[in-house]
Amino acid sequence: MNAVYGLFAGLSALLLVVAGFAVVTRRHFAAVVGFTAFGLLLSLAWVALAAPDVALTEAAVGGGVTGVLLLSASVQMRAKMEVLPSWGVRFIAAVLAAIVTAGLMLVVLMLPDEAPTLAPAAKESLAFTGMGNPATAVLMAYRALDTMLEKVVLLLALVAVWSLGRDHFWGGRPDFDFSTQTSGPLLLLARVLVPVGVLVGIYLFWVGADEPGGAFAGGALIAAMGLLAFFAGVARPPLVGSGWLRWAVVAGIAVFLIVGFGGFWGAGDFLAYPDGLAKPVIVVIEVAMTLSIALTLVLLVVGPPGRRP
Amino acid sequence: MREFYLLAGVFILLTVAVGLTRVLLGPRGADRMMAAQLLGSGGIAAMLLTAAGLESAAALDVALTFALLAAVAAVAFTKSSGRAARTEED
Repeated sequence: MNAVYGLFAGLSALLLVVAGFAVVTRRHFAAVVGFTAFGLLLSLAWVALAAPDVALTEAAVGGGVTGVLLLSASVQMRAKMEVLPSWGVRFIAAVLAAIVTAGLMLVVLMLPDEAPTLAPAAKESLAFTGMGNPATAVLMAYRALDTMLEKVVLLLALVAVWSLGRDHFWGGRPDFDFSTQTSGPLLLLARVLVPVGVLVGIYLFWVGADEPGGAFAGGALIAAMGLLAFFAGVARPPLVGSGWLRWAVVAGIAVFLIVGFGGFWGAGDFLAYPDGLAKPVIVVIEVAMTLSIALTLVLLVVGPPGRRP
Repeated sequence: MREFYLLAGVFILLTVAVGLTRVLLGPRGADRMMAAQLLGSGGIAAMLLTAAGLESAAALDVALTFALLAAVAAVAFTKSSGRAARTEED
């Protein structure tokens, strides 16, 4: 398969060039465009390496919400920060970054040729979980506690972002000031693409049981569609004080905790799934998680409340 | 045949690399933006060819996700760049 090596060589060269550009350029906008291009190429590399689960997550998160988040940050920085740090600070930053890079390279080079793996063990117990995709089985069954804590981290990040808002705006809408003027083509795009995108998001979540996909990829895609709706002005960011929003944001963790404590009498341990019911229970958790992830990602991007309620 | 798909993917990747020069050189924000969109189309094409070459059905989902998000990225770039896209950067 010489063609595969050609693909790897081309991708590696492009990745290095684009990554270097995104780091070196001083123009925020150019750096964000470069970073988005980098994400696409990286995802292609994961596909070529036969790791479609990673490729899909990179596509769903890196191609949508992260890009919008960085762009919105660059717009705000353009107004506020034009002063470059001094030479000394930049030199120290460069040295520290070089040390971290060298350390990572060393670790990769020191890996044993036969990498230690739990893959056979993960495949062996797959039947008990009712899942067809080992990656989902790891996330939702073997290491479910980690996945739950990851959702807690996401919620904490949202609390941190909200706490940056001013007191008198509390309970109001985030000031996501891209929707000031609207246009016909954009309205059409939002009306056509948002339903399709939400459908594909639900599909990604559902197919996650047996193929690459899952709650995070699906939720991230739905979140990007929400942002598109805000851009076009067909929807407005929600009031951060509204009760339904709070419930929806904690739904994933709440269901996870209920199932977790239910495991004590149902299966004898925290987060243990009852025999034969593993798959339905996991689907219920994932439905709640997809909803919470999509909403939390949208709220993280639109930022703290910036208008009076 | 699979070899052919992969070679075609490499060829598309080369054309993407040519377009990439506009992302790097600019000079205007709009040039970078349009080149990034071109890169999106080319990247999705290369991904579909790789999917066929490696017979990986899941890669089709990845390509579908990118196709949807490329439109969102285009809107976000346009909305946020206002000034950056129209004026020559320094």
